[in-house]
Amino acid sequence: MTWNKPLPQPTPTSAPYWEGLKAHEVRIQQCDQGHWVFFPRIHCPVCASRELAWRKISGEGTLYTFTVARIPTMPEFTDEMPQILAVVKFDEGPHINTTIVGADPATLKVGQRVRPVFDDRPGTATLLRYTPVESAHPGVIDDAADAKVMPAAETVPAVAVRKIDIKNIDAVRALVSDSFSAWSPELAVTQELINEFAALSGDDYWIHTDPERSRKESPFGGTIAHGMLIQVLLGRLRIPQDYEITGFNNMVNYGSDRLRFPVPVPAGCRIHARSRVKSVEQVKSGVKLMMEINVHVVGQDDRPCAINDMIIMYM
Amino acid sequence: MGLSGQAALVGAAQYRPEKYSTAPQMFHLEQVADLTVRALADAGLELAEVDGLIVPAPQFHEATMFVPAMAGEYLGVALNYAEVVDLGGASSVAMAWRAAAAIEMGMCNTVVCAIPQRMAPFAPDEDMSEFMRASRYGGHSTRYGAPEAELDLPYGHMAQNTGYALIAQRYAATYDYDPAALARIAVAQRFNACHNPEAIFHGQPITVEDVLASRMVAEPLRVLEIVMPVAGGGAMVITRADRTRSIRHRAVKIIGCGEHVQSKSPTYAQDMLATPIGPASRRAFEMSGFKPADMHMAQIYDCYTITVLLTLEDAGFCPKGEGMRFLREHDLTFKGNFPMNTHGGQLSFGQAGLAGGMSQVIEAMQQIQGRAGERQLARHDLAYVSGTGGVMSEQGALILQGA
Ligand SMILES: [Zn+2]
Repeated sequence: MTWNKPLPQPTPTSAPYWEGLKAHEVRIQQCDQGHWVFFPRIHCPVCASRELAWRKISGEGTLYTFTVARIPTMPEFTDEMPQILAVVKFDEGPHINTTIVGADPATLKVGQRVRPVFDDRPGTATLLRYTPVESAHPGVIDDAADAKVMPAAETVPAVAVRKIDIKNIDAVRALVSDSFSAWSPELAVTQELINEFAALSGDDYWIHTDPERSRKESPFGGTIAHGMLIQVLLGRLRIPQDYEITGFNNMVNYGSDRLRFPVPVPAGCRIHARSRVKSVEQVKSGVKLMMEINVHVVGQDDRPCAINDMIIMYM
Repeated sequence: MGLSGQAALVGAAQYRPEKYSTAPQMFHLEQVADLTVRALADAGLELAEVDGLIVPAPQFHEATMFVPAMAGEYLGVALNYAEVVDLGGASSVAMAWRAAAAIEMGMCNTVVCAIPQRMAPFAPDEDMSEFMRASRYGGHSTRYGAPEAELDLPYGHMAQNTGYALIAQRYAATYDYDPAALARIAVAQRFNACHNPEAIFHGQPITVEDVLASRMVAEPLRVLEIVMPVAGGGAMVITRADRTRSIRHRAVKIIGCGEHVQSKSPTYAQDMLATPIGPASRRAFEMSGFKPADMHMAQIYDCYTITVLLTLEDAGFCPKGEGMRFLREHDLTFKGNFPMNTHGGQLSFGQAGLAGGMSQVIEAMQQIQGRAGERQLARHDLAYVSGTGGVMSEQGALILQGA
């Protein structure tokens, strides 16, 4: 997968730090007076000594502070939602900006022990992330590990299903609700999928298909999925329902009252969907049931990337 | 040592904050000229009397070098003092004391500080990609060799929201953290804005419940605790206090100032909760001979509610760690026992980029001059004004007193 995010550009001074990470070691500088230095510099900011040596450290430390970003700090980080941004204090003293992986944000505590996780996915550089010491998260993230955390939409969570006869209009009307169903399984919207849709639909506008140019010129920092692709993918996002409509001869998709794409879906994000019955209307030819189906980028549960008020006609 | 009140704020002008999408586009040179002429008219001074000019550099559209010379030439004034200030949101406070210092030193007589913050029109063939890049990364440098480009951006550490959230979370783990108390800042300022027709949120009151129910942006900060960036701009005129007989309004003497720059990213500060506003404010109060309790108003830089809280504590309005109690026990509106950000603060007046902080200096000036209209304070002779740039990185404080 292409790394759609800003990459570090090591300088001659900082290169040993990045080489260390590639070797899955944390190396920071220490001056001849014993002061630990981070970020990499040409002098010690405490005593001004220019005699600095690179030392391997454990990389372990404590969580100095953190935040859970509910809006991506940059669009290309949407696939990490919610972003758990953190400052870690190395045991040697200096602080470092990082992100936390393998932890439920609700359980994080300032001051807790954390250990390094080497993220090899960017390819040209290894990033230093952190996880709670007791977490089972592997100490290295590579593309294979990445695939594991992105399940395909295969299994729908089991729910008890009530059967509702379409002719029992009161029972059908009782389905109308302000609250949404449980989430569907997650699905990754990869660049490959976007490319296939571009070929199929003939919409190969660069904002969807040219990662290089999009990185430079798009306000989204990278390519984004077609709105219509997200709409089409609904078919693969099986939403768990606790009811099943029965007793009809025929059901047809009557169209949509509203189809909106309020939030872009950057390539590489995972999406999931949920729905609710918005209204039920008895008409001459049958029953019109309007479903509000909302697709969200995983981690952005407060804002859908697609809203579809879809009408199903039961006859 | 320090300022002796020989320089005074005498007039100002600012554009009404507007959404960028609807605000007029103007070249920055045009805005500097327009705002300067209006501010001079407000003061009752002539263009020819201006011999000092301070402008911002980082976002000046028409040039990145020789900016004061270009702007002075455009204005049509010869300058005995010309300067660029690059202190983010602290720029206005920093400009004011630099102007006062230059005047007290006898370098010049009348200084205009101008910050244009409406968007300049783009040339038809202009390459948008650099602009897109700069606007996406906000205050973060993307240049090769910048530690933040190398060590922050790859992790998504970017701009202000999460930076302030990191500070707020650290505060919450150290001291009493009460979201409802912090919300009182936003609510009181909105009340003030509802008495200020120039404020972008005029006529839109909010409650503590509204703040607490608003969208979570970066825990623990919610959207109603965060400023909305708008187009705008401002200019202020500072002149010799003994030349002010000809001016139209009460002279507002600059009697204390302080500045402290500690780090770019608060990550690298020894203690994220010991902010630069502490040393900056102590110096300003000491110079002025007054204490926090003597102030009749506080115009506190408020990019976030947490910024106000840390400023209240570190500037000495309440002991460290007791900010939440202070907020619960005080009425922060212009009608209350601790009048603060009487124009609505940037949270409710609107934050016009670097000019956002100028709205606080101008409000202090207008209050002291008795020109604050409906929200005029009864006691209005002494004001504390703060400025904050970056993420509690670069801060400044002013003490102002009516002549
Ligand atoms: Zn040293």
